[in-house]
Amino acid sequence: MRKRPGIGAIHKQRVEQERFRGKATELQDNVFEQMANQMEKFRTNLETFASKHRNEIKKNPTFRKQFQEMCASIGVDPLASSKGFWSELLGVGDFYYEIAVQVIEVCMATSQRNGGLITLGELRQKLIKARGKAQHHQNISNDDIIRAIKKLKVLGSGFSIISLKDTQDSSDVLIRSIPGELNADHTEVLKIAEAQAFTTIETLKCKLKWDDVRCQQILNELIRDGVAWVDGQSTTKTYWFPSFFKPLINEG
Amino acid sequence: MEFSWPWEYDFPPFFTLQPNLDTQKKQLEAWRKLVIDYCRHNKIFVLDVQESMPLFQNKTIDRQLSSEGIKRVLEILQENQQIEWCDKSKKQCFVYWKTPQEWGNLIYRYIIDKGMTNTVCTFYELTEGDDVKNEEFAGLDKSILLKALETLEASNKAEVIMFGGSEGVKFF
Repeated sequence: MRKRPGIGAIHKQRVEQERFRGKATELQDNVFEQMANQMEKFRTNLETFASKHRNEIKKNPTFRKQFQEMCASIGVDPLASSKGFWSELLGVGDFYYEIAVQVIEVCMATSQRNGGLITLGELRQKLIKARGKAQHHQNISNDDIIRAIKKLKVLGSGFSIISLKDTQDSSDVLIRSIPGELNADHTEVLKIAEAQAFTTIETLKCKLKWDDVRCQQILNELIRDGVAWVDGQSTTKTYWFPSFFKPLINEG
Repeated sequence: MEFSWPWEYDFPPFFTLQPNLDTQKKQLEAWRKLVIDYCRHNKIFVLDVQESMPLFQNKTIDRQLSSEGIKRVLEILQENQQIEWCDKSKKQCFVYWKTPQEWGNLIYRYIIDKGMTNTVCTFYELTEGDDVKNEEFAGLDKSILLKALETLEASNKAEVIMFGGSEGVKFF
Protein backbone atom coordinates (compact mmCIF):
# COMPACT_ATOMS: atom_id res chain seq x y z
CA MET A 1 0.00 0.00 0.00
CA ARG A 2 1.41 3.44 -0.99
CA LYS A 3 2.20 5.80 1.72
CA ARG A 4 -0.03 8.81 1.47
CA PRO A 5 1.77 12.18 1.40
CA GLY A 6 2.12 13.73 4.78
CA ILE A 7 2.67 17.25 5.93
CA GLY A 8 6.45 16.69 5.85
CA ALA A 9 6.47 15.62 2.22
CA ILE A 10 4.45 18.62 1.11
CA HIS A 11 6.72 20.89 3.03
CA LYS A 12 9.78 19.32 1.42
CA GLN A 13 8.28 19.71 -2.02
CA ARG A 14 7.62 23.36 -1.41
CA VAL A 15 11.17 23.97 -0.23
CA GLU A 16 12.52 22.25 -3.37
CA GLN A 17 10.30 24.32 -5.63
CA GLU A 18 11.52 27.46 -3.98
CA ARG A 19 15.10 26.40 -4.47
CA PHE A 20 14.47 25.71 -8.15
CA ARG A 21 12.84 29.05 -8.55
CA GLY A 22 15.79 30.73 -6.91
CA LYS A 23 18.19 28.93 -9.24
CA ALA A 24 16.12 29.85 -12.25
CA THR A 25 16.20 33.52 -11.34
CA GLU A 26 19.91 33.29 -10.78
CA LEU A 27 20.41 31.69 -14.19
CA GLN A 28 18.19 34.24 -15.84
CA ASP A 29 20.11 37.03 -14.20
CA ASN A 30 23.32 35.50 -15.48
CA VAL A 31 22.05 35.26 -19.03
CA PHE A 32 20.74 38.80 -18.87
CA GLU A 33 24.03 40.02 -17.53
CA GLN A 34 25.85 38.23 -20.30
CA MET A 35 23.56 39.69 -22.87
CA ALA A 36 24.01 43.11 -21.41
CA ASN A 37 27.76 42.64 -21.55
CA GLN A 38 27.58 41.52 -25.15
CA MET A 39 25.37 44.40 -26.10
CA GLU A 40 27.75 46.76 -24.39
CA LYS A 41 30.65 45.23 -26.30
CA PHE A 42 28.68 45.32 -29.56
CA ARG A 43 27.82 48.87 -28.95
CA THR A 44 31.40 49.85 -28.21
CA ASN A 45 32.58 48.12 -31.37
CA LEU A 46 29.86 49.73 -33.35
CA GLU A 47 30.74 53.11 -31.95
CA THR A 48 34.34 52.61 -32.92
CA PHE A 49 33.29 51.52 -36.38
CA ALA A 50 30.87 54.33 -36.73
CA SER A 51 33.15 57.09 -35.55
CA LYS A 52 35.90 55.69 -37.73
CA HIS A 53 33.72 55.69 -40.82
CA ARG A 54 31.42 58.52 -39.90
CA ASN A 55 32.59 60.84 -42.61
CA GLU A 56 32.55 58.09 -45.15
CA ILE A 57 28.93 57.28 -44.30
CA LYS A 58 27.92 60.88 -44.52
CA LYS A 59 29.73 61.69 -47.73
CA ASN A 60 29.79 58.60 -49.85
CA PRO A 61 26.46 57.44 -51.24
CA THR A 62 27.73 53.97 -52.17
CA PHE A 63 29.18 53.39 -48.72
CA ARG A 64 25.99 54.70 -47.18
CA LYS A 65 23.94 52.23 -49.14
CA GLN A 66 26.19 49.36 -48.04
CA PHE A 67 25.96 50.53 -44.45
CA GLN A 68 22.18 50.57 -44.72
CA GLU A 69 22.16 47.08 -46.14
CA MET A 70 24.47 45.83 -43.37
CA CYS A 71 22.15 47.30 -40.76
CA ALA A 72 19.13 45.73 -42.41
CA SER A 73 20.77 42.30 -42.45
CA ILE A 74 21.15 42.32 -38.67
CA GLY A 75 17.68 43.71 -38.17
CA VAL A 76 18.61 47.22 -37.16
CA ASP A 77 17.04 50.27 -38.70
CA PRO A 78 19.22 53.27 -37.96
CA LEU A 79 16.43 55.52 -39.07
CA ALA A 80 13.75 54.03 -36.85
CA SER A 81 14.04 56.82 -34.35
CA SER A 82 15.87 60.08 -34.33
CA LYS A 83 16.72 59.41 -30.70
CA GLY A 84 18.35 56.07 -31.33
CA PHE A 85 22.02 55.91 -30.49
CA TRP A 86 22.76 55.20 -34.14
CA SER A 87 21.50 58.46 -35.32
CA GLU A 88 22.82 60.33 -32.32
CA LEU A 89 26.21 58.95 -33.06
CA LEU A 90 26.18 59.23 -36.81
CA GLY A 91 23.66 61.85 -37.57
CA VAL A 92 22.44 59.39 -40.22
CA GLY A 93 18.88 59.84 -39.13
CA ASP A 94 19.24 63.58 -39.44
CA PHE A 95 20.68 63.12 -42.90
CA TYR A 96 17.57 61.34 -44.14
CA TYR A 97 15.14 63.52 -42.23
CA GLU A 98 16.78 66.51 -43.78
CA ILE A 99 16.31 65.04 -47.26
CA ALA A 100 12.74 64.06 -46.41
CA VAL A 101 11.90 67.63 -45.40
CA GLN A 102 13.51 68.98 -48.55
CA VAL A 103 11.59 66.41 -50.62
CA ILE A 104 8.36 67.75 -49.13
CA GLU A 105 9.43 71.31 -49.89
CA VAL A 106 10.29 70.56 -53.51
CA CYS A 107 7.11 68.55 -54.05
CA MET A 108 4.95 71.28 -52.56
CA ALA A 109 6.65 73.97 -54.60
CA THR A 110 6.24 72.07 -57.87
CA SER A 111 2.83 70.48 -57.30
CA GLN A 112 1.19 73.65 -58.62
CA ARG A 113 2.44 72.87 -62.07
CA ASN A 114 2.85 69.12 -62.20
CA GLY A 115 -0.22 68.03 -60.25
CA GLY A 116 1.94 66.43 -57.57
CA LEU A 117 3.69 64.03 -59.86
CA ILE A 118 7.43 64.44 -60.27
CA THR A 119 10.16 62.26 -61.76
CA LEU A 120 12.91 61.13 -59.44
CA GLY A 121 15.39 62.73 -61.83
CA GLU A 122 13.82 66.18 -61.54
CA LEU A 123 13.35 65.80 -57.81
CA ARG A 124 17.03 64.95 -57.34
CA GLN A 125 18.10 67.86 -59.53
CA LYS A 126 15.97 70.28 -57.50
CA LEU A 127 17.12 68.81 -54.18
CA ILE A 128 20.75 69.27 -55.13
CA LYS A 129 19.99 72.85 -56.07
CA ALA A 130 18.19 73.46 -52.77
CA ARG A 131 20.97 71.99 -50.68
CA GLY A 132 24.23 73.77 -49.98
CA LYS A 133 27.13 73.88 -52.39
CA ALA A 134 29.36 71.78 -50.10
CA GLN A 135 30.41 68.49 -51.63
CA HIS A 136 28.75 66.27 -49.02
CA HIS A 137 25.47 68.10 -49.58
CA GLN A 138 25.68 67.42 -53.27
CA ASN A 139 26.37 63.74 -53.04
CA ILE A 140 22.88 62.38 -52.69
CA SER A 141 21.91 59.34 -54.65
CA ASN A 142 18.53 58.23 -55.92
CA ASP A 143 18.73 55.51 -53.28
CA ASP A 144 19.03 58.14 -50.53
CA ILE A 145 15.95 59.95 -51.83
CA ILE A 146 13.88 56.78 -52.05
CA ARG A 147 14.89 55.87 -48.50
CA ALA A 148 13.95 59.30 -47.25
CA ILE A 149 10.57 59.11 -49.00
CA LYS A 150 9.87 55.70 -47.52
CA LYS A 151 10.38 57.29 -44.09
CA LEU A 152 7.60 59.72 -44.96
CA LYS A 153 5.16 56.84 -45.10
CA VAL A 154 4.77 57.05 -41.33
CA LEU A 155 2.96 60.32 -41.93
CA GLY A 156 0.23 58.51 -43.85
CA SER A 157 -0.34 57.74 -47.48
CA GLY A 158 0.65 61.20 -48.69
CA PHE A 159 3.76 60.13 -50.57
CA SER A 160 4.01 57.20 -52.89
CA ILE A 161 6.59 55.85 -55.27
CA ILE A 162 5.52 54.70 -58.72
CA SER A 163 7.81 52.56 -60.83
CA LEU A 164 7.41 53.19 -64.54
CA LYS A 165 9.67 50.45 -65.76
CA ASP A 166 9.73 47.00 -64.31
CA THR A 167 13.45 47.24 -63.72
CA GLN A 168 15.01 48.49 -60.51
CA ASP A 169 16.39 51.48 -62.39
CA SER A 170 15.53 54.33 -60.10
CA SER A 171 15.67 56.98 -62.81
CA ASP A 172 12.30 55.83 -64.11
CA VAL A 173 10.50 56.39 -60.86
CA LEU A 174 7.75 58.90 -60.21
CA ILE A 175 7.04 60.43 -56.85
CA ARG A 176 3.42 61.26 -56.10
CA SER A 177 2.98 63.82 -53.38
CA ILE A 178 -0.79 64.22 -53.46
CA PRO A 179 -2.88 61.54 -51.78
CA GLY A 180 -5.04 59.43 -54.03
CA GLU A 181 -4.22 56.15 -55.60
CA LEU A 182 -3.02 55.82 -59.14
CA ASN A 183 -4.18 52.45 -60.36
CA ALA A 184 -2.48 50.13 -62.83
CA ASP A 185 -4.29 51.70 -65.81
CA HIS A 186 -3.07 55.17 -64.86
CA THR A 187 0.46 53.90 -64.56
CA GLU A 188 0.25 52.27 -68.00
CA VAL A 189 -0.76 55.59 -69.53
CA LEU A 190 2.04 57.43 -67.72
CA LYS A 191 4.55 54.89 -69.02
CA ILE A 192 3.48 55.58 -72.58
CA ALA A 193 3.37 59.36 -72.17
CA GLU A 194 6.73 59.59 -70.42
CA ALA A 195 9.04 59.85 -73.42
CA GLN A 196 7.23 62.67 -75.25
CA ALA A 197 5.29 64.23 -72.36
CA PHE A 198 2.03 63.68 -74.24
CA THR A 199 -0.21 60.98 -75.62
CA THR A 200 -3.43 60.55 -77.59
CA ILE A 201 -6.34 58.15 -77.47
CA GLU A 202 -5.13 56.60 -80.74
CA THR A 203 -1.70 55.89 -79.28
CA LEU A 204 -3.22 54.30 -76.20
CA LYS A 205 -5.60 52.18 -78.22
CA CYS A 206 -2.77 50.97 -80.39
CA LYS A 207 -0.25 50.28 -77.65
CA LEU A 208 -2.50 49.01 -74.88
CA LYS A 209 -5.25 47.41 -76.96
CA TRP A 210 -7.88 49.23 -74.94
CA ASP A 211 -11.19 50.39 -76.35
CA ASP A 212 -12.15 54.07 -76.70
CA VAL A 213 -14.20 54.18 -73.54
CA ARG A 214 -11.43 52.86 -71.36
CA CYS A 215 -8.81 55.23 -72.84
CA GLN A 216 -11.11 58.21 -72.43
CA GLN A 217 -12.05 57.18 -68.91
CA ILE A 218 -8.45 56.90 -67.70
CA LEU A 219 -7.43 60.17 -69.38
CA ASN A 220 -10.41 61.91 -67.82
CA GLU A 221 -9.35 60.65 -64.43
CA LEU A 222 -5.80 61.93 -64.97
CA ILE A 223 -7.24 65.31 -65.96
CA ARG A 224 -9.48 65.30 -62.89
CA ASP A 225 -6.42 64.66 -60.71
CA GLY A 226 -4.64 67.63 -62.26
CA VAL A 227 -1.94 65.39 -63.69
CA ALA A 228 -2.85 65.81 -67.36
CA TRP A 229 -3.63 68.88 -69.50
CA VAL A 230 -5.66 68.95 -72.72
CA ASP A 231 -4.46 70.50 -75.96
CA GLY A 232 -7.41 71.13 -78.25
CA GLN A 233 -5.45 72.81 -81.04
CA SER A 234 -3.70 69.82 -82.58
CA THR A 235 -5.26 67.65 -85.27
CA THR A 236 -6.32 65.11 -82.69
CA LYS A 237 -6.89 66.02 -79.08
CA THR A 238 -3.62 65.61 -77.21
CA TYR A 239 -3.10 64.94 -73.52
CA TRP A 240 -0.02 66.50 -71.96
CA PHE A 241 1.83 65.75 -68.74
CA PRO A 242 3.78 68.65 -67.22
CA SER A 243 5.67 66.15 -65.04
CA PHE A 244 7.45 64.90 -68.15
CA PHE A 245 7.76 68.21 -69.98
CA LYS A 246 11.49 68.86 -70.39
CA PRO A 247 11.51 72.69 -70.46
CA LEU A 248 9.69 72.64 -67.12
CA ILE A 249 11.96 70.01 -65.61
CA ASN A 250 15.05 71.95 -66.60
CA GLU A 251 13.70 75.28 -65.36
CA GLY A 252 15.15 76.61 -62.09
CA MET B 1 17.36 92.30 -73.27
CA GLU B 2 15.24 89.50 -74.68
CA PHE B 3 12.08 88.65 -72.78
CA SER B 4 12.44 85.24 -71.18
CA TRP B 5 9.22 83.35 -71.71
CA PRO B 6 8.05 81.03 -68.93
CA TRP B 7 8.02 77.28 -69.60
CA GLU B 8 4.23 77.36 -70.06
CA TYR B 9 4.61 79.38 -73.25
CA ASP B 10 6.13 76.33 -74.95
CA PHE B 11 3.59 73.95 -73.41
CA PRO B 12 0.88 73.45 -76.08
CA PRO B 13 -2.11 72.89 -73.74
CA PHE B 14 -1.36 76.24 -72.07
CA PHE B 15 -3.22 77.78 -75.02
CA THR B 16 -6.38 75.69 -74.47
CA LEU B 17 -8.63 76.56 -71.53
CA GLN B 18 -8.37 73.55 -69.21
CA PRO B 19 -11.52 71.58 -68.37
CA ASN B 20 -10.35 70.80 -64.82
CA LEU B 21 -11.21 73.93 -62.86
CA ASP B 22 -8.30 73.61 -60.44
CA THR B 23 -5.90 73.26 -63.33
CA GLN B 24 -7.63 76.13 -65.12
CA LYS B 25 -7.14 78.33 -62.08
CA LYS B 26 -3.41 77.64 -62.13
CA GLN B 27 -3.39 78.20 -65.88
CA LEU B 28 -5.12 81.59 -65.64
CA GLU B 29 -2.80 82.61 -62.83
CA ALA B 30 0.19 81.75 -65.03
CA TRP B 31 -1.37 83.79 -67.84
CA ARG B 32 -2.00 86.72 -65.50
CA LYS B 33 1.63 86.73 -64.47
CA LEU B 34 2.80 86.36 -68.06
CA VAL B 35 0.74 89.35 -69.26
CA ILE B 36 2.11 91.55 -66.49
CA ASP B 37 5.73 90.43 -66.98
CA TYR B 38 5.46 90.80 -70.75
CA CYS B 39 3.97 94.30 -70.56
CA ARG B 40 6.50 95.40 -67.95
CA HIS B 41 9.37 94.11 -70.05
CA ASN B 42 8.11 95.73 -73.25
CA LYS B 43 6.85 98.86 -71.49
CA ILE B 44 3.33 98.31 -72.76
CA PHE B 45 0.92 100.69 -71.05
CA VAL B 46 -2.12 100.14 -73.23
CA LEU B 47 -3.01 96.67 -74.44
CA ASP B 48 -4.98 96.34 -77.65
CA VAL B 49 -6.94 93.13 -77.29
CA GLN B 50 -7.62 92.72 -81.00
CA GLU B 51 -4.08 93.32 -82.11
CA SER B 52 -2.25 90.09 -82.81
CA MET B 53 0.95 89.91 -80.80
CA PRO B 54 3.34 87.22 -79.60
CA LEU B 55 1.89 87.43 -76.09
CA PHE B 56 -1.18 85.36 -76.87
CA GLN B 57 0.25 83.53 -79.84
CA ASN B 58 3.25 81.22 -80.07
CA LYS B 59 4.06 80.75 -83.73
CA THR B 60 6.83 78.25 -83.03
CA ILE B 61 4.40 75.67 -81.69
CA ASP B 62 1.46 77.06 -83.70
CA ARG B 63 -0.79 77.71 -80.75
CA GLN B 64 -2.81 80.74 -79.76
CA LEU B 65 -5.11 81.60 -76.91
CA SER B 66 -8.74 81.85 -78.03
CA SER B 67 -10.62 85.12 -77.61
CA GLU B 68 -12.63 83.41 -74.85
CA GLY B 69 -9.33 82.55 -73.16
CA ILE B 70 -8.03 86.10 -73.51
CA LYS B 71 -11.30 87.38 -72.05
CA ARG B 72 -10.89 85.14 -69.01
CA VAL B 73 -7.29 86.22 -68.47
CA LEU B 74 -8.30 89.88 -68.64
CA GLU B 75 -11.12 89.26 -66.18
CA ILE B 76 -8.62 87.88 -63.69
CA LEU B 77 -6.35 90.88 -64.30
CA GLN B 78 -9.27 93.20 -63.73
CA GLU B 79 -10.20 91.46 -60.48
CA ASN B 80 -6.60 92.08 -59.41
CA GLN B 81 -6.90 95.71 -60.47
CA GLN B 82 -4.01 95.21 -62.84
CA ILE B 83 -5.91 96.36 -65.90
CA GLU B 84 -8.61 98.93 -66.50
CA TRP B 85 -10.71 99.16 -69.68
CA CYS B 86 -10.10 102.34 -71.63
CA ASP B 87 -13.76 102.53 -72.63
CA LYS B 88 -16.94 100.51 -72.71
CA SER B 89 -16.10 98.81 -75.99
CA LYS B 90 -13.48 96.75 -74.13
CA LYS B 91 -11.03 96.80 -77.01
CA GLN B 92 -8.19 98.43 -75.17
CA CYS B 93 -7.12 98.44 -71.57
CA PHE B 94 -4.54 100.15 -69.41
CA VAL B 95 -2.11 97.66 -67.96
CA TYR B 96 -0.99 98.46 -64.46
CA TRP B 97 2.24 96.60 -63.85
CA LYS B 98 2.50 99.55 -61.52
CA THR B 99 -0.64 101.12 -60.10
CA PRO B 100 -1.29 104.84 -60.75
CA GLN B 101 -0.55 105.36 -57.06
CA GLU B 102 2.85 103.69 -57.47
CA TRP B 103 3.64 105.77 -60.56
CA GLY B 104 2.62 108.87 -58.64
CA ASN B 105 4.93 108.04 -55.76
CA LEU B 106 7.78 107.30 -58.14
CA ILE B 107 7.39 110.63 -59.91
CA TYR B 108 7.03 112.53 -56.64
CA ARG B 109 10.22 110.98 -55.26
CA TYR B 110 12.04 112.03 -58.43
CA ILE B 111 10.77 115.61 -58.06
CA ILE B 112 11.87 115.75 -54.41
CA ASP B 113 15.29 114.32 -55.27
CA LYS B 114 15.80 116.95 -57.95
CA GLY B 115 14.52 119.75 -55.78
CA MET B 116 11.83 120.56 -58.29
CA THR B 117 8.98 121.27 -55.94
CA ASN B 118 7.14 124.55 -56.49
CA THR B 119 8.10 124.64 -60.15
CA VAL B 120 5.82 123.78 -63.03
CA CYS B 121 6.69 120.92 -65.38
CA THR B 122 4.89 120.08 -68.58
CA PHE B 123 3.61 116.57 -69.11
CA TYR B 124 6.03 116.26 -71.98
CA GLU B 125 9.03 117.11 -69.78
CA LEU B 126 7.92 114.59 -67.20
CA THR B 127 7.67 111.59 -69.48
CA GLU B 128 9.53 112.41 -72.70
CA GLY B 129 12.21 114.88 -71.64
CA ASP B 130 15.94 114.12 -71.84
CA ASP B 131 16.32 114.40 -68.08
CA VAL B 132 13.94 111.55 -67.36
CA LYS B 133 14.91 109.12 -70.09
CA ASN B 134 16.61 106.81 -67.58
CA GLU B 135 13.72 106.93 -65.15
CA GLU B 136 11.23 104.09 -65.01
CA PHE B 137 8.35 106.42 -65.81
CA ALA B 138 9.93 107.56 -69.07
CA GLY B 139 7.43 107.03 -71.86
CA LEU B 140 4.51 106.67 -69.45
CA ASP B 141 1.15 106.78 -71.19
CA LYS B 142 -0.51 110.17 -70.80
CA SER B 143 -3.79 108.84 -69.44
CA ILE B 144 -1.96 106.83 -66.80
CA LEU B 145 0.22 109.84 -66.00
CA LEU B 146 -2.92 111.85 -65.39
CA LYS B 147 -4.31 109.16 -63.08
CA ALA B 148 -0.98 109.06 -61.25
CA LEU B 149 -1.02 112.83 -60.79
CA GLU B 150 -4.60 112.66 -59.56
CA THR B 151 -3.47 110.39 -56.74
CA LEU B 152 -0.86 113.03 -55.84
CA GLU B 153 -3.48 115.78 -56.02
CA ALA B 154 -5.61 113.83 -53.59
CA SER B 155 -2.83 114.04 -51.02
CA ASN B 156 -2.06 117.68 -51.86
CA LYS B 157 1.33 116.92 -53.32
CA ALA B 158 0.59 118.22 -56.80
CA GLU B 159 -1.75 120.31 -58.84
CA VAL B 160 -2.48 119.82 -62.53
CA ILE B 161 -2.71 123.10 -64.43
CA MET B 162 -3.63 124.00 -67.98
CA PHE B 163 -1.94 126.88 -69.69
CA GLY B 164 -2.12 127.97 -73.27
CA GLY B 165 -3.17 124.65 -74.66
CA SER B 166 -0.48 122.63 -72.90
CA GLU B 167 -0.74 120.71 -69.70
CA GLY B 168 1.53 120.98 -66.76
CA VAL B 169 1.80 120.09 -63.13
CA LYS B 170 3.11 121.84 -60.07
CA PHE B 171 4.46 119.79 -57.19
CA PHE B 172 4.45 120.81 -53.53
